[in-house]
Parts: sequence; structure tokens; C-alpha cells
Amino acid sequence: MDHLSPFEDQLAALLPRLRRFAHALSHDAADADDLTQVTVERALRSKAQWEPGTRLDSWCYRIMRNLWIDTARARTRKNAREAPEEEGLSVGEDPRPGMEAAVDLHRVMAAMERLPDEQREVVALILVEGFGYREVSEMLGLPIGTVSSRLVRGRTALLAMVGEQ
Amino acid sequence: MNDDERFFAWLDGELGPAEAAEMEARVAADPELKRLADQHRALGSQLRSAFNPIADAPVPQTLQAALRPTAQLIDFRAAKRARSMPAVAQWTAMAATLAIGIFIGTRVPQESSAPVQAEAGKLYAAASINRALDTELASAPTGDVRVGITYRDSAGEICRTFTAPAGSGLACRNSGRWQMKGLFAAPEGQGSDYRMAAGMDPNLAALVDSTIAGEAFDEAAEKAAKANGWK
Repeated sequence: MDHLSPFEDQLAALLPRLRRFAHALSHDAADADDLTQVTVERALRSKAQWEPGTRLDSWCYRIMRNLWIDTARARTRKNAREAPEEEGLSVGEDPRPGMEAAVDLHRVMAAMERLPDEQREVVALILVEGFGYREVSEMLGLPIGTVSSRLVRGRTALLAMVGEQ
Repeated sequence: MNDDERFFAWLDGELGPAEAAEMEARVAADPELKRLADQHRALGSQLRSAFNPIADAPVPQTLQAALRPTAQLIDFRAAKRARSMPAVAQWTAMAATLAIGIFIGTRVPQESSAPVQAEAGKLYAAASINRALDTELASAPTGDVRVGITYRDSAGEICRTFTAPAGSGLACRNSGRWQMKGLFAAPEGQGSDYRMAAGMDPNLAALVDSTIAGEAFDEAAEKAAKANGWK
């Protein structure tokens, strides 16, 4: 039974990719699913602002990234006041492969977590999500040279971290 | 673009043909650069192998549900089971403010054409909305105001959802009149055709969900209820 309009249909098709990007932005599985959910809700509410004919995926990624910045900023302030939560408290579904499969994968993900936010988002968008430099520059509202130099720094740092472990 | 950036742009397929050919030749001639290119290609595929399983995994129900307020409404019983917190408190306050702003304008007018009237602290359907609720069948829409679903609420009153050009709402039959239970503005900039195509307003869906007892009427039950004066 499917009663979705074309917009919701397209959004539904994007969910797996949005979720993947959320996991790159936030290394906590519960946070990532929360982020995906608020992104979907925001996209539905703002649907009148989306111009049909333009890329819905870029539009949604931008929403997610901006929401993440807001969350991360609020959290930094909160963490400054409170002790960090126990790691065991997170209850989201973690879709990543089990330990046995994934020593290398774990290593590269751990390295991603250590990148500064502004490098991590560019690395995720270009190397994982497959966007072009120009698309990312428009999505993030950054000059293409900035995207390119963050990407160089991010991937160079990643390679060094993956190599050193 | 400096040399590093040009090298990576080449690796990512971002250079024009001439520049790409030039970089290709440089890399081919330089074992150090060639090794770096291989390492970064491997890093890229490691990254994708690490993150792709997330996109390949089934999307959790909670996330899918965020997209499907309409589908939830259709399956009332499942929706009721899934939803633990009805939005009743929210809609009552919301209905009162929205009704005045959207359906009547900023002044509460006395003229008879207003489709909603306030009386003794309650809102009642009037004019076009009242007419539609009295006479329209979902199976045979005629005017600007369309009736959606009809059902009995937990107090035993017959309730009907409707869609008007400015928004949608829910009214229940009480002492021979249609009392407004909720009014929801159409999203800004969207005409009623668009809204109908997009399905029921999620707030209205939640309101129906929290008040319905049993199933929505089918065509025959709706007709019978009309013949019986919506009692």
C-alpha cells in the first residue's frame, strides 16, 4: 500500500543514502538516526521551498548538514557544562558490519571520526556520497577552492591515521 | 589550484581532458606519485566499503514512518498501536488559533458567509462547510469543500474530515450541529489541488487517529448515516 506523492517517493528513495551521510557526520548510531529523522521532517515541512527540476538529493544533504551543525554547536555548549554521557547509553540500530568482518573498516571509520567536522563532511560528500566538487561547493555554500583544499587535508590526514594504527 | 589539489582533482576525475592528460603523464613518470595515487584509491574504496553497508541496510521503521503520515492513517488500528501519545492537547489549542486566523480572517465576523462560527466558546461549521458536512458523500464530491472520511468517535458522535481551499479539518455531530474539533491551515503557497495530491494533513491524520473508534465508514455506512441525519 503506497500513498506517497512523488516528493515523498523520492525522499523515501533517498533515505538509505541520507542515513549513510548521517553516520559519517555523527559516529553515534542513535544520533545518526535522529539526524536522519529530523532531516526528513524538515524536508517535508519545507517541501514548498524545493524547486522541482533541481536535485532533491543535494537539497536534502544540505538540510542534514545544516541541522548537524546546529546540533553539534548546541552539544558543544552542553558538553562544556556536563560530563559526557556513558557510551553504553546509545540505543540506535547500528547497521555497520560486525567485528569479524571489519577491522579495516573500523579503522577507517575511527579515523573519520577524528577529522575536523569541516574536513569530514567534504570527504564524506565527495569520496563516499559521490558528489562532484562543484556540487559540494554549491551545497555547502563554499568556494570550490575551499572544498578542494579541505578535501586534500582531510584525505591526507585520513591516510596518515589509517597507516599509523 | 596548487599541485596537490590538481593531483587529487585528477584522481577524482575533476580535471578537464588536457589537464588530466598532463597529470596522468606526470604520475606515470613518477613512482612516488604513482604510489600515492594507489594509496588514495585504496583509501577511497575502504571508505566506501565502510559506509556502504549503512545504505544497503534496511531503513528502520521509525524512519520510514516519518515519511508516511498518510499511510498510517489508512491503517487505523496499526497506527493506533504504533502511536502511544495522541496529539489531542496540541490540536485543541492549535485549532482555536488557526480557525480564527485562517477561516474567518483576523476579525471574527458576524456575516453569514463565514464557514466557521464561534458560539459560546465553541466553533461550529457554517455556510459552505456546514453544507458540505450535511450533504456531501466522499464518493460523490461536488463543491469546493470535499469530505474525506466519516467515522464514529469514542463518544459515539459521527465525525467527518473535510478539505476546504484554505485548509482541512475535522468536525463532529453534536446536538444537531457540526462542532469543529480541529482546523489546519494549508501549507503556505500550496493550492488545494496540490494538497489533495499530497494526502491528508499529518496533524489532521493524528487527530483522526486519536479520536476514531473502530473503522472509518465505507460508502454504504456513510449513506446510511446521512439518511439517518448523522445521529
